Amino acid sequence: MDTIISLFLIFIGAALINNFVLHYFVGICPFIGVSRRVDMAFGMGCAVTFVIAIAATLSWTLTFYILRPDAPLSAWLWKALGGNPGITVDLSILSYIAYIFVIASSVQFVEMYVKKFFPALHRSFGIFLPLITTNCAILFACLEIMKNLQGGDQLWGLHHALALSVGGGIGFTIAIVIMAGLREELELCDVPKALKGPGIALLVAGILAMAFMGFTGVDRGVADAIRTLTHN
Amino acid sequence: MDNTLITILLAAGILLVIAVLMALILGWANIAFHVPTDPKITAVTEILPGANCGGCGFVGCAEYAEAVVKGKAPATLCGPGGQDTANKIAETLGLSLGETWPFKAVVHCAATREQRLKQTPYYGEQTCAAANLVPGIQGCVYGCLGYGDCQDVCEYGAIDMVDGLAVIDVDKCTGCRACEKACPRGIITMIPFKTEEVLVVTCSNKDKGVLVKDVCTVGCIGCSACTKPSDGLIEMINDLPVVNYDKDSSGIDLHKSVEKCPRESLVFIGLHKDKKKPKGEPERIEANFATTIDQTEWRG
Amino acid sequence: MASSSPSPAERFIAGILPENPIYRQMLGMCPTLAVTNSLKPALTMAIATTFVLLCANISISLIRPLLKPHLRILVFTLTIAAFVTIADRLLAAYLYEMSKQLGPYVPLIIVNCIIISRCEACASKQPLPHAIADAIGMGIGFTLALASLGFVRELLGMGSLFGHQVLPSSWPNWGILVLPPGAFLTLGALLGAVNAWTARRKARQLSN
Repeated sequence: MDTIISLFLIFIGAALINNFVLHYFVGICPFIGVSRRVDMAFGMGCAVTFVIAIAATLSWTLTFYILRPDAPLSAWLWKALGGNPGITVDLSILSYIAYIFVIASSVQFVEMYVKKFFPALHRSFGIFLPLITTNCAILFACLEIMKNLQGGDQLWGLHHALALSVGGGIGFTIAIVIMAGLREELELCDVPKALKGPGIALLVAGILAMAFMGFTGVDRGVADAIRTLTHN
Repeated sequence: MDNTLITILLAAGILLVIAVLMALILGWANIAFHVPTDPKITAVTEILPGANCGGCGFVGCAEYAEAVVKGKAPATLCGPGGQDTANKIAETLGLSLGETWPFKAVVHCAATREQRLKQTPYYGEQTCAAANLVPGIQGCVYGCLGYGDCQDVCEYGAIDMVDGLAVIDVDKCTGCRACEKACPRGIITMIPFKTEEVLVVTCSNKDKGVLVKDVCTVGCIGCSACTKPSDGLIEMINDLPVVNYDKDSSGIDLHKSVEKCPRESLVFIGLHKDKKKPKGEPERIEANFATTIDQTEWRG
Repeated sequence: MASSSPSPAERFIAGILPENPIYRQMLGMCPTLAVTNSLKPALTMAIATTFVLLCANISISLIRPLLKPHLRILVFTLTIAAFVTIADRLLAAYLYEMSKQLGPYVPLIIVNCIIISRCEACASKQPLPHAIADAIGMGIGFTLALASLGFVRELLGMGSLFGHQVLPSSWPNWGILVLPPGAFLTLGALLGAVNAWTARRKARQLSN
């Protein structure tokens, strides 16, 4: 039960409370750039969620077995090459390069795959895929996963990594779709000339971020409620 | 072995293994998942910076390339690439497309405020986008609303609102498409100016003639009189004449079509002011499309 | 925007205001918003980014004849990732507290659009002096933008600058500016101000 609650907390935290876009400011470029129409925003959100899950799986595997301090595979290689057994192997210096490599390649692969086998899907959101390579949200999820694999008493499992990444992807989708809805309405308003375009979008995003601050504490409350329910 | 050396070897080795793995997978995928595409689109995509910034209004460089190749977007939209990129695209497509023409905006409506019937008073937001949402603001649901959204977005001062009708100065127009995007009714389109004068249909009303007469004093009634002398250049689609700009118009006397029109819905728009209308053109329309009108004078 | 072959000096000037990466091109928004709740992290971030931008521009400019068109973005990203790793380790070694405070935003320099766009638009086409001038100009432009945001947010949000109290204690701290929403609001307002100022300047130039 505790595992499920902790997964739930990670998920809610990434999706609402510490929303990737409105709290951590990752993925701002598409948030401002591709948020003029709701359908496009939704396509972008879906594409990000999809890629973030794949990238998280790959980077968790890579980090857990090779890149984290005292990772099994690299420790074995260290010994096989005759390194000093008293030293902990730590290859985390490679992680940034490895992540960006994994993200770029998996985006490329997913794009080719979808283009070949799901042309309809590719038409609706495949066009967003190349944009995602340089989307901070994906790398940010990988970095958060890495942070929780650096040692300490409880290392994250793959399920934690997936909860964070899918939660973050859904949070991104929620934020960008709300934003697109607001901006469709904004088109009809008489905005001061200097603020037209990104200026007013940022101000609106600020107000949206304030609204999302209202979710603070929701995770604790819901977790407590679940605990009381299951204990009774 | 030395510990430092092993660390370096390990790091390099692991990165190399990842790189080789990814290269193999991607290389295989490239062959296995190959989908044939238009070589022109690929060529333009390669010219573009590939930053996928979305600054052009399209979702990524590839989509913009497709739009450029299909003629739906000008080659000058790429901000990061700048002039170099635009020139290269033009060069690439110019070789394969042949001659290029300047595209200019034209308004497919000729009715001034008084000529649009059945208007209701409107006191809301003074923009076309907002007014367009009000049903029954004027009888014609296709025509110009006259609140000047297109004028506001035009950076070149090429649009004037004359008597509640948007009038474009084709000499000032650069074909940037800002007005085309701004018009909520979609009555501004881009037309290739292959010759000094271009025939333009100045009505967008797709309804039957009776209904059009009901809402407008100058709109097209769909009589198709203009199609006969045009040798197939003008076709009737949805009760509106449509000029096929892809067809070669030399040798066809389009002035006859204009003369046949009982409603003043066909006009010539010329590139240069001194080369004005052909004979038989109603005097009033000429005044509408003149370009030297002082804005303040007209607005009172 | 970028004309055919501006001199290094012109490239340098262009980055500071006419093509300012934040206020004009809207690139690299992520660190701009995330680390500017006070001046110190904002400046550290700006310097780290400038360092990476400079190194990346230099190396890309040097290997520019070897670049293959379809692989260039990957090459850029990997080069940047390598320099970001160096910057990250340097920060962790000499400014440990700051490195903790900046957290994941230092590695996120890798996906900062400014650097990729400068590598693409300038360094991969221009010789070394141009690339260096461009990187420093853009870096200063980025630094100015971050500093202005950090200045406003720290001054109004906490009444202090670089951690020293400057406004009298009667100043009611505008707490919202230090929180995430404040980042959006401040940048939106500053952007509006910069736009209004340039529009007015342009109008004045036209009337003269």
